[in-house]
Parts: sequence; structure tokens; C-alpha cells
Amino acid sequence: MNLTSLIAVDPAQSPHWLFPEPAEIIYGGIASLIIFAALWKFALPAFKKALGARTERIQKELDASANDLSKAQADATQIRQALGDIESEKARLLADAKAQADALLADGRNRLTAEIAELEAKADADIAAAAARGSDELRNEIGRLAGVATDRVIASVLDDSTQQALVENFIAKVGASR
Amino acid sequence: MSDNRIEGYARALFEIARAEGNIDTVEAELYQLARAFESSDALRSKLTDDQIPAARRQAIVEDLIGATAANTTVQLVSLVIGSGRGRDLPAIVDKLVRRASSSKHLEVAEVRSAVPLTAEQQSRLAATLTSVTGKQINLKVVVDPSVLGGLVATVGDTVIDGSVRTRLDNVKSRL
Repeated sequence: MNLTSLIAVDPAQSPHWLFPEPAEIIYGGIASLIIFAALWKFALPAFKKALGARTERIQKELDASANDLSKAQADATQIRQALGDIESEKARLLADAKAQADALLADGRNRLTAEIAELEAKADADIAAAAARGSDELRNEIGRLAGVATDRVIASVLDDSTQQALVENFIAKVGASR
Repeated sequence: MSDNRIEGYARALFEIARAEGNIDTVEAELYQLARAFESSDALRSKLTDDQIPAARRQAIVEDLIGATAANTTVQLVSLVIGSGRGRDLPAIVDKLVRRASSSKHLEVAEVRSAVPLTAEQQSRLAATLTSVTGKQINLKVVVDPSVLGGLVATVGDTVIDGSVRTRLDNVKSRL
């Protein structure tokens, strides 16, 4: 049997292959209404509540994500700023260190130059003093040797008669001085 | 040693020598010994060395002058050396000599000569110094080769220097 033949069948004919019995429609409609009402009464609030809770949870998660995002962005900004500060601090420290090193180097060079000049002056003075000292020592030694030689020569010259003459001369001179 | 202690020793030695009745001899011998003590480093170091026992130092003195000096002189020197006052022997003796001279109203005249003087020269020198200073002189002659020639006479604070050494030093300083 094709579709046209099926539609063409009389609906009052019972049992119809498509339409149920009227009582079945009534009972079925009432049962459907009862089920629908029960669902409306009991299932719908629970469903709404579950849906609300889920929505709230999702909203919370969205809010938390937004907070995390803003916090992460703030942290990123801070880190970027800190990085910038670190770079500038690094540059400043490097500049300071270079300035200090330059100052130290200049100071060291100056001190070294001064010390070299002082050492040279001291060496010159020491050399001059040593030369003078050597000259003085030589002069003193010559004087000492000359003194010793003179004493020996005179002692050899002063024989007994000369000694006696010196004694007599002393007595005579002292006597003459009264 | 303090002056008081030196004076004390000199007074004690003088009184002992005077009591023994040979002050002139003892004084003369002590004076010569004191000058020898001053001029000889070896003698001075031996007689003043505290490491050498006193008895040993006294034995050295007796060996040195025991045969030639008066017994009183030896005993007095031995006393000073034995009591550990050897370093002050010249000062003690000088004070003793001055004290002995003062007791006879004499002034000590120390004469340093390069050669020994004869008795006649000493006599004439004492007379000359007496006439120059107006004081009676107790002449003490010290033979000192460092004088080279001539004499150096010291009477109290007065020094009459006619030595070759001084003339030579004057020439050296002028040069």
C-alpha cells in the first residue's frame, strides 16, 4: 500500500493504522498533561537551579579568569617595568663602576708618578750624600793617617837630648812667666 | 761610686797609712799605681772584673806590686780591689793624695812628661811651680808617652801646657 492509499483511508474506521482510539487519545493526553505538569512542577525548578548554579560557576570561573588575566597583565607590566629598571640600574652601575675605575686608574697613575719622582729625588739625594760621606770619610781617614804619620815622625825625631831640651825649655819658660 | 763613698775610702786609707807612719811612701806608690791603672786597659779590666773572685784579684795585686811596694800600699790596694771598688781606685787615690798634701799644706801638681824626669829636674820644676803659684808644691810626675815631648803641669784648676802633643793638635786643627 502506498502513501496516498494510506491517507485516503477513513479516519473513523477503527482501528485506523495511524490515528489511535479517542479514549486512548484522551487518556494519553491526560497522562501527558500529568507528566508534563509533574515535570513543570518538580523537574523544571531543579533544572533551573542546576542551570543557575552552572551559570554562576561558569561566571565565577570567567571572573576568576578575568582577574587572573588582569593580574597577569599587571605582573607582566611590573616585570617589564622591573626589567626596564634593571637595565637602567645595570647601565648606571656600569657607568659608576667605569667612573670609579677611571678615577682609581688616574689616581694610581698620579700616585705612581709622584712616588717615582720621590724615589728618584731620594736616590739622587742618597747618591749625593753617599758621595759627600765618602769624600768626608776619605778626608777624615787621610787626616787620621796623616796624624798618625806625623806622630811617628815626630816621635822618631824627638831623641833624648831633644826631650831634655823641651823639659828644660818648659821649666825656663814657666819660671820666666812669674 | 758617690763622692761621699770615695771620700770615705780616701780618708780611711789616709788614716791607715798615717797610722803606719809611711804616708809619703804609700801616697807616692798609690799615685803611680793609680796612673798605671788608668793607662792600662788590661790591668783595669782584670782588677774590675766581677767574674774574677776577689781573692784572685787581690792575688794579682800582690803579684804585681808585692815585691816592690810597701806592705801598707799592697794591703790598701788589696782592700779596695777586694771590696769591689777597683773602678774608683784612681779617684780614691787622688783624694788621698790631696788629703795628704793638705795635711802638709802642699798643693798637688801633676806633671805629665814623655820621658822620666831626673830628681834635679823635679826639684827645679817644683821650685818653679811654687814661685809661679805661690803655693808649696807636692810634685807628682806621670810618664805619659802620648805627650810626645815637653810637659803638661796641672796645679789645682790651672793647666800649664808645653807639650808637643798640644802644639801638634793646634797645628792640625788650624790645617
